[in-house]
Amino acid sequence: MINKDLNQYSDFFSAYTELRMQENRNNRISMVNGDVMGNSISSSSGVSSRVYKEGNWGFASNPDLSDSAVEYVVQSASDNVRFMNDRNKIQCGFILPDTCGHYEMDLTTQVSRNSQKQWIDFLKDIDSYIQKKYSHLTSRTIVLAGLDMEKSLLTSSGSTSYSMTPRGIMYVSLNMEKNGEPVELMDVFGGLGQLEDHFLDPTQFYSDIDNLADHLSRKADGVYADAGTKDVILDADLAGILAHEAIGHTTEADLVLGGSVAGEYMGRQVSSELVTLIDYANSVDDKTCPVPVYIDDEGTPSEDTVIIKDGELKSFMHNKDSARHFETKPTGNARAYAFSDEPLIRMRNTAIEPGANTLEEMIAAIDDGYYLMKSSNGQADSTSEFMFGVPLGYEIKGGKLGNAIKDTTISGVAFDVLKTIDMISSDMTWSSGGMCGKKQWIPVGMGGPAIKCQVNIGGR
Amino acid sequence: MPSQYWGSLADLRDAEIPDYCIEQLVKAGADKAQCVYSAGEKKELNVDAGEFSLFRTTANHGISLSVIKDQKKGSLSINKINQDDIDEAVVTVLIMAASSMPDEAYDISENQPAKSFSKGPTEPELEKMYNRMEEFMDFSGSTFPTTIIEQAIMDFSAGTSYYRNSNGVAFDETGGSYSFSAMFTSKEGEDTSSFNSAGFSSLDMDTTLHKGGSIERLLKESAEHVRTKPVPEKFTGEIIITPDCIMNFIGFILGNISDYRLIAGTSLFRESIGEAIANGLLTLHSMPLSDDLSGGYFVTGDGYEAGNATIIDQGILKTFLLSLYANKTGFERGPNSGGSLIIDPGKTALDDIIKSVQQGVLLSRFSGGSPSDNGDFSGVAKNSFYIKDGKIQYPISETMVSGNIVDMFNNIENISKDIVNFGDEIFPWIHFGGITVS
Repeated sequence: MINKDLNQYSDFFSAYTELRMQENRNNRISMVNGDVMGNSISSSSGVSSRVYKEGNWGFASNPDLSDSAVEYVVQSASDNVRFMNDRNKIQCGFILPDTCGHYEMDLTTQVSRNSQKQWIDFLKDIDSYIQKKYSHLTSRTIVLAGLDMEKSLLTSSGSTSYSMTPRGIMYVSLNMEKNGEPVELMDVFGGLGQLEDHFLDPTQFYSDIDNLADHLSRKADGVYADAGTKDVILDADLAGILAHEAIGHTTEADLVLGGSVAGEYMGRQVSSELVTLIDYANSVDDKTCPVPVYIDDEGTPSEDTVIIKDGELKSFMHNKDSARHFETKPTGNARAYAFSDEPLIRMRNTAIEPGANTLEEMIAAIDDGYYLMKSSNGQADSTSEFMFGVPLGYEIKGGKLGNAIKDTTISGVAFDVLKTIDMISSDMTWSSGGMCGKKQWIPVGMGGPAIKCQVNIGGR
Repeated sequence: MPSQYWGSLADLRDAEIPDYCIEQLVKAGADKAQCVYSAGEKKELNVDAGEFSLFRTTANHGISLSVIKDQKKGSLSINKINQDDIDEAVVTVLIMAASSMPDEAYDISENQPAKSFSKGPTEPELEKMYNRMEEFMDFSGSTFPTTIIEQAIMDFSAGTSYYRNSNGVAFDETGGSYSFSAMFTSKEGEDTSSFNSAGFSSLDMDTTLHKGGSIERLLKESAEHVRTKPVPEKFTGEIIITPDCIMNFIGFILGNISDYRLIAGTSLFRESIGEAIANGLLTLHSMPLSDDLSGGYFVTGDGYEAGNATIIDQGILKTFLLSLYANKTGFERGPNSGGSLIIDPGKTALDDIIKSVQQGVLLSRFSGGSPSDNGDFSGVAKNSFYIKDGKIQYPISETMVSGNIVDMFNNIENISKDIVNFGDEIFPWIHFGGITVS
């Protein structure tokens, strides 16, 4: 446990200062073909401080949580900013926007905690079900992973916060051979909450596994996608990664300052008028998002950032320093992964707003194209050019679903692709287990409705 | 600030802490036990959007425990180093092992002579780090004025790690090194290049940063990539993959000769020891002990003194990179934990290889999905150039390259004698045929 209340340390502050105590706790069990390949827990805790003065930052962290360690860390961060101030005087006189808020959130499960044996038994049950029902598979991998992020924060502006944000995930990967070649498919389950909030009853996942095995079987018999620019439906997984990777990153203010193409687009029509794209702070329609943030790690109360409204680029995501630069308000997007990490501008829960169509209407509207369901990974660029792996999809012929397709990729320039969106489904689904890498890895929420658009699809 | 210890640990030296852990684990009933205690500090300077922004100092330490009891295994790591937490961790990790399932393959390394290893400095030259960063910013600003250094990070990390197990293995490793990385984008008006990044590690600060790794070349190419166009047509041709990009493809081979795929039974190369898996031009080593690299390691994760290894010798697969646990596959444990890769250079100058290309792409960055299990891949050629009739023609965008990695390595046309030393790896340029470009 970390101290929830850090107010006792405010006397250590002499300039703009953030003080954070944090503990990350992990539990990870992996089972491959019925053998326990990994069975580990870990915890990492410590205190960090970041001090701002004359346009420079100093940061220090230590794993010790004692009062003397807190004092030492604040002093070290102050020494570090002095080191910078003595050498770099270009930014003298910069003052950060002042923000203040208070919030406490504890999402610890309300049910009794499972023992490690119960989790291993849970995995054994799932594994046995797969082995018995799908004996033709060449391998099966199941991973259970829990992450608790517990943080407390005090800033010299008076902000205080405490949060315990858990995530519980299960990965299931199935592998088979077809004509001597391996074919693989994976799905992810769970999300916000501890493992107990998602995985108490293995039988609840049998139908999901049946579904995964069915898709794998169809994929093994699948066809290569025809290469070229095609009408496609990107289901929530892919629409979410498009929103996050290809648009979201280009509108993070630090990447805008680093030269991203979105820097030139503010106030312009950048997509179809059907598109409103939001980085939600903590909830949508009173439903909690996968990564709820109420006060960010700079002490700024978090608010939704409406990046695109009815097709027009409206806002970037900011921390205090970028808000100072752009002469606007910070948006509460500053987040750090570990106690030893400084807050960076990070997305929270990024999605296109749902529209008015059903998935069935969207499929019926395509004569020759693809319904693309899952993403394996994704990369995007400062130009918004993107590439996503697609491990699961189906042909659409004459408005109807056809053969499954083999692994493929889609690519395009996201701001161009957004202009081709002409249908958006009315439902909204968050992906489980989204992680984003940008100096530090951090959990993010990605998802949304399905969108109908045009992209380049790779063939053989 | 020194690490704080309480209770009876207050009198222990760092090296004795893992001894204490092993003693407690065995006393508590572990059949076999392993402990790694490590402590270190990092000092890091950051530039953001072209300006110095942050000086960061992080200290950490941690203990990782693994126990085997009744052939069941549990692992635990904490970064609280005091007697109460360690004693609690000992109890918990044994409960974890008892909770698990037996596997005859669980084991720890057998007794080996105790050794201490060291490499690199243990204290940074902080003033020199700052001056080198300032020099780099001046150089990039004056030489490539259209290029924005989105972020540059220079750090010095040093630490000590102590490996102990209940078979009496005792290895100590101490070391430190500098690393530098930069991410950059070039911009002229509304024309923006793709971002690119480059970096290297070093044991000293004697080299001007832009001369390290591929940094100066990639900065120059970034400035040229502000205006790009697609390749003129779809074609099956050649690609020359730069040292900056080759790991995207080597990684697939390494994945197929490492624990997970061989244990799961999905490796494409499970029957390939002693067989050709690449053209005879390719020789790939894993050399954690190489003096040519600033990186490397002396002790493997499963508790053995690391050795250098040739993984692929003139196209022939010589060894898997398996841990002790992967003995269950029936194959031998590998000589090290992988990494520290070196590909032998060829005999032809890069310029001459480019001259030999009829139609192809010089691939500097690959933005692609994970390859299929059979090695099929496709992705976007980033920061790359179109080659026609032996000459680099222009920087390209919106260009896909696709093929099969297994076929590709069997179709190596040439390997350059030019190499890049990144500190952790040394790679040449490799020229492949039979790639689809669209």
